Amino acid sequence: MKCEWVKENITLYVYDELADDARYELDQHVARCADCAAELKLAREFRSLLLETPAAEPNANLLASSRMKLQEALETAEQGGFWRRLAFDPARWLHQVKFSPALASVILLAGFAGGVGATYSALSGAKLAPAATSSTPAEASIAGIRSISQEPGSDHVSIKYDTVSTQEAQGSLNEAKIQQLLLFAARNNYNSGVRMDSVNLLTQKPNDAQVREALIYALRYDSNPGVRVKSLDALGNYVKDDVSVRDAVLQALVNDSNQGIRTEALRLLEPVKADSSVRAVLMTLAAKDQSEYIRKQSRSLLAQSTEMD
Amino acid sequence: MAGQERRIDDTALIREAQQGNRAAFEELVRYYDQSVLRLALHLTGSEHEAQDIYQDAFLKAYKNIGNFRFECSFYTWIYRIVTNLCLDQIRRKQVRKEDAPVAKDKSGEEFSLLDQVADGRSGADPERDLMRRELGKRIGNALEKLTARERMVFELKHYHGLKLRTVGEILQTTEETAKNTLFRATQKLRVALVDMR
Repeated sequence: MKCEWVKENITLYVYDELADDARYELDQHVARCADCAAELKLAREFRSLLLETPAAEPNANLLASSRMKLQEALETAEQGGFWRRLAFDPARWLHQVKFSPALASVILLAGFAGGVGATYSALSGAKLAPAATSSTPAEASIAGIRSISQEPGSDHVSIKYDTVSTQEAQGSLNEAKIQQLLLFAARNNYNSGVRMDSVNLLTQKPNDAQVREALIYALRYDSNPGVRVKSLDALGNYVKDDVSVRDAVLQALVNDSNQGIRTEALRLLEPVKADSSVRAVLMTLAAKDQSEYIRKQSRSLLAQSTEMD
Repeated sequence: MAGQERRIDDTALIREAQQGNRAAFEELVRYYDQSVLRLALHLTGSEHEAQDIYQDAFLKAYKNIGNFRFECSFYTWIYRIVTNLCLDQIRRKQVRKEDAPVAKDKSGEEFSLLDQVADGRSGADPERDLMRRELGKRIGNALEKLTARERMVFELKHYHGLKLRTVGEILQTTEETAKNTLFRATQKLRVALVDMR
């Protein structure tokens, strides 16, 4: 009778699930009963056999890609309190940046907001349609926040916001309608990520005068340095051919708040260093600029052009 | 992980996550997601399916974390979500009567996940490796013969080392039921693998 109990509980014994007193009793029985001892041996061997053959384990790749996908999915997951979605999350930005070394050059410029996120998705092969929709559905339907007021003495908040109905235009970069939307986006969109996306696409067609104008506008006035740098790079090749481009780049060199952009602008002005207006600026910078690097570079450029005279 | 310490950390993070702090939720995820992925992979045998379950489980957790009332540990709660998803998947596959776990590698070739058992000792003894792979296949086949619940209890006990009391909590049943299920599972497996030593 005892043997029956033992056989029923041997599995539990082998998996260390028996209560102390039961375990003790089983030990005692097995010491005296050959049958049950054999049974115990079999049970132990079976467990060892299975332990010898471990199941496939997830590799680091699988884990990393699962985490990334989850992060992306969490961006659009609703949890409640949609207005929190509009806030910039530095921790999340850092995460994205770690995953995309291609953005390293862009990282040199400080002060990014949503632009990096949009660039990352552009690099990873987002569709070429103008980015009319931004990162969350809720965000896309909000045209702007009109007012935020808090009831004094309570935590009751009232927010007025405008919504738009979202439409979609599809087509190639050459089509007029697409270009129009891109130009509009580059100038007007409140979301820097969308401005970034459209400037990105516009940089593919800097020959067009209107496009160049939009890029100059972005270089001059866009609040997001990532957008400005994209425009600057696209305009760089036209510094020699187009006076308005040259002037815009000069302005960026003098006025831009971002050191990286100023440095890049200086570099791009190299082909026109002999121009009188450029020289005038270089002389001022060589003498008075706060940044030592800018001073040195300006001097060096000035020196080179005198040699050429 | 020191149990008590882990619990205290969780509480703060959970409360933060409940307030909508996504970074807090992501930190919670990182403590548990390796085990979750492992569980899903063992039970489905497919990297793709495991990843899907991983996504579904954590998204569900994110959406429902507001309902978490600390009546059990977060560990139990998240495991409950994952096991339910896995059970559904297992049952779906049983209905379709699929074979032993297979997956497709980059060239589209099917291979058994159990063939891929990484083993530091392999290479030195090809005969032993072959036996190990054979055994892996046999075990895979034997596991397929279990009911979804038997498979789950066995997986949680044998591969994750959980106490049957915890298993009962996760599967929302009693410890006694879990014990009986384990017994049945091991019996079936022993019968299926009787000639392998």
